[in-house]
Amino acid sequence: MAKLINLTINGVAVTVPDGTLVVDAAKKAGIDIPVFCYHPKMEPVGMCRQCLVEIGRPAIDRATGQPALNDDGTPKLQFMPKLETACTNPVSEGMVVLTATEKAKAGQKELLELLLTSHPLDCPICDKGGECPLQNLTVEYGSSQSRFIFDEKQRADKHVHLGELINLDRERCIQCARCIRFQRDVAGDPVLGFYQRGRLTDIVTYSDPGFDSVFSGNTTDICPVGALTTADFRFGARSWELKQSASLCAQCPVGCNVTFNTRREAKSGGVMAIKRVMPRQNEQVNETWICDKGRFAGYHYTEAESRLGLDAASMESALSQAADKLAAAKSDAVFLAGGRLSNEDFYNLKQLAAKLGAKAYLYSPMAGGEYTTAYGLGAGSNLGDLGKDDTVLVVASDLYNEAPVWHLRLKAAAKRGATLIVAAGRATKLDEFASFVVRYAYGDEVETVKGLAGKEKIGDAIKNAANLVVFYGSDGLGLAGTSALAAACADLLNGKTGKVNNGLVGVWNAPNTQGAYELGLAPAADLKSELKGKTVYVIAADPAGDDPALADALKSAKAVIAQDILATATTQMAAVVLPAAAYTEREGTYTTAERRVQRFYLAVPAKAGTRADFAIFAELGKKLGVELEGRSALLVMNKIAAEEKAFAGISYARLAEVTAQWPIVGRGDLYYGGTGYENKLGLGVHLALALTPAPSTSGRGGQMRPKENELVAVPVSKIYDLGVTMAPAKLLGQRIGAAAVGLNPVTAAKLNVENGGKVQVQVNGVTAEAIARFDESISTGVVLIYRSFGIPISEPTSVKIVVAEKA
Amino acid sequence: MSLVEKYPEEVKAIFAKYPADKKRSAVMPLLYLAQREEGYVKKESMQEIAAMLDLDTTEVASIVGFYTLYHDEKAGKYRMQVCNDLPCALRGADKFLESLCGNLGIKVGETTPDGLVTLEAVMCLAACDKAPMFQLQDGDKVEYYENMTVDRTMELVEALKKGGKEIK
Repeated sequence: MAKLINLTINGVAVTVPDGTLVVDAAKKAGIDIPVFCYHPKMEPVGMCRQCLVEIGRPAIDRATGQPALNDDGTPKLQFMPKLETACTNPVSEGMVVLTATEKAKAGQKELLELLLTSHPLDCPICDKGGECPLQNLTVEYGSSQSRFIFDEKQRADKHVHLGELINLDRERCIQCARCIRFQRDVAGDPVLGFYQRGRLTDIVTYSDPGFDSVFSGNTTDICPVGALTTADFRFGARSWELKQSASLCAQCPVGCNVTFNTRREAKSGGVMAIKRVMPRQNEQVNETWICDKGRFAGYHYTEAESRLGLDAASMESALSQAADKLAAAKSDAVFLAGGRLSNEDFYNLKQLAAKLGAKAYLYSPMAGGEYTTAYGLGAGSNLGDLGKDDTVLVVASDLYNEAPVWHLRLKAAAKRGATLIVAAGRATKLDEFASFVVRYAYGDEVETVKGLAGKEKIGDAIKNAANLVVFYGSDGLGLAGTSALAAACADLLNGKTGKVNNGLVGVWNAPNTQGAYELGLAPAADLKSELKGKTVYVIAADPAGDDPALADALKSAKAVIAQDILATATTQMAAVVLPAAAYTEREGTYTTAERRVQRFYLAVPAKAGTRADFAIFAELGKKLGVELEGRSALLVMNKIAAEEKAFAGISYARLAEVTAQWPIVGRGDLYYGGTGYENKLGLGVHLALALTPAPSTSGRGGQMRPKENELVAVPVSKIYDLGVTMAPAKLLGQRIGAAAVGLNPVTAAKLNVENGGKVQVQVNGVTAEAIARFDESISTGVVLIYRSFGIPISEPTSVKIVVAEKA
Repeated sequence: MSLVEKYPEEVKAIFAKYPADKKRSAVMPLLYLAQREEGYVKKESMQEIAAMLDLDTTEVASIVGFYTLYHDEKAGKYRMQVCNDLPCALRGADKFLESLCGNLGIKVGETTPDGLVTLEAVMCLAACDKAPMFQLQDGDKVEYYENMTVDRTMELVEALKKGGKEIK
């Protein structure tokens, strides 16, 4: 704990840790000092000078070296002749800060006048209007006149597309460099920069595509003026018309807290519509950030034209038909559910399946949940606490693409001094920030992890770590591979189980895969044979769309019941389709891969003719004589808490609790953290570790490695793909791109394949066209195939690549 | 053609000046090299330099943008940069620049039709006592011409046409 420093700010006595900046100390005391360039998540730079205040420090008598005293015995204060910036000055003992004196106010006011000499003040047509600190400050100081000559006002381009996602208004920019510093220091993607200097200073990007970073949307949040805005929300609504609904991002297992801004509008037929996604502060999960997938694809799929719905009568008959089929099948029914379902849905599903004697499987490309439930992060863990003496190992995962906010948080942990070890079959963006990079040939994942402890420096970093967190993913692996890898990773954590900031984290592809595992669901080892001749009930999953072989297996099923929010290949072949409400239209909870249970709230009313998944299960239960809670998600959670040991003690009330968070981000503040929302509706609660005995971690392995003159395709993930929840995000269309395969240039040369050339991929009984992309970091004989791009790939398998004929 | 292909020896010499873990420091000499032939830095060169130094292209471009002697657009073979700041103006630099424009038949910022000279007005070049003065930028080289008159400058332009830079 740092030494505590006492000072007074505007007469208020404040005690803060040594090293705190004056601007932060003031905020802690409830005093807003206006800032533009300063952001509590970034190093101060003192560029904008808006935070000018008077600072007095106790004078020292030069003769005696003792503090000089006034005649009345109080310490004599020495003020600098000029105002100082509160954002660059750390506090010191006995300091006196005056932020609201005439002198300080005059300084702040003049600064504002200077900033406004080249700002258009076009607030009425600006997307930032209503939540803009420059606007607030201008209103506060009320200068309706400028002493500067209007004709000399800076004119600049107002519609600059830094890419298709982010727009720049050059006139509005006040050159605070928040966006540039965020990209360089927080995101590690330095794709924004200043160009020219003086009044010509300009924000530019030279990346291709423009502003090439998956964190780009955050710059629009922290921009203290309307210079950076998103294409998604452009002219979408005025900020004061918007309502706020606390929710979660459902695009990956990080569980970023978000706020959906909604309004009732004619454009959407007079109903409530979501207008944008904003980060909601949770310092233990996503801090104040979200990635572009969450922002620009986030909820958009819930509004896709392919949403399902049935009128009341048809819904009733669909439910009856489904119940009849399940009643007929009994233990011959197979439930197959995707990780988009909430904890409440999984619980009701499990109960229903159990009463029927049916099997219930999780539909997931990745296994190992039996290890993450037993070796998962201990309650109270926070990646933000990792630093010196701690070690983080990331195996077989490209976090930048699979869980971007973890990428950002692990980069920050490495900066704080944690040892970051990245082991992967190819180069990933996290390598740059890692202390050690381990490159293995695809197929050697398990052996590599087993060998880590024996390596000199890496082994020491793992063995001697004060805290050890291991992330494992599915880069290049299917179910068997990830299961074996999870076991090998869990082995490294023996003896650390249940400790805070220690544990195993699975980089799943869905928001609630961890929840499914915690509730006892798991993927089927051989799904195809499980489906044959059975009555298959598919929920929130699209096996038929993912893999023609699974489509064939479903065709061979006795009957298919499909329950989803969107029309998919699976719903199209189903005998009965049950339309579900999207998570934005109901309440529920997800369990993040860090084992934190978090609540999401209703943002918009359910689309006509849909029901929440847990309620559909309860309806079916009623028809099948199984009593299930279907009235509200809250009541289902009460049952879960009573019956599932890991969830003991969890209630909706506890999940809604908040504790004070730092930094304080509030939207009306002049101490400006961004347009992200403060968290008022719950930080979530960590699960207790499952009390089931941990499975054995030994004796698994043996994977596929290409032999001489053989090609092996392995599945990998890309952030933007054509999956069910991504494809409807029209804005990201350009960045999703076409199906591609990754090859080592040596492999490609043998096949006469050129970089960027078209190839035909023959894999899993399908022939598909793809673009070849060279990647020197991968082993030879391996072909990377991206998941959810129309080429079925679930496990490493042999593949044939032929150069496509030129059209 | 890439810089490495075009100037293999020079690139090697520049890299030799900096420790391997601080190679990003080589960005400025490499940019001058990129500017040598055509007087401006092409986007491909920025990309190549960024790749060589493990920088982002935007970071390299920012340096081109910040420093006034790097250019990102094609102009005349020579850039004639006349200082017309206050002390120089007091010694007649503004009139000099105006009549130079007349003689060359171009405005400040424009290039002569033969593509030889681009005329620019710049801030302090630290030679106030020798105004009117300008610097002549030729790719990665800069030379000062001090105590100039319009006649002497036109003489220089004639010399430049013939490939020389000398004036009597």
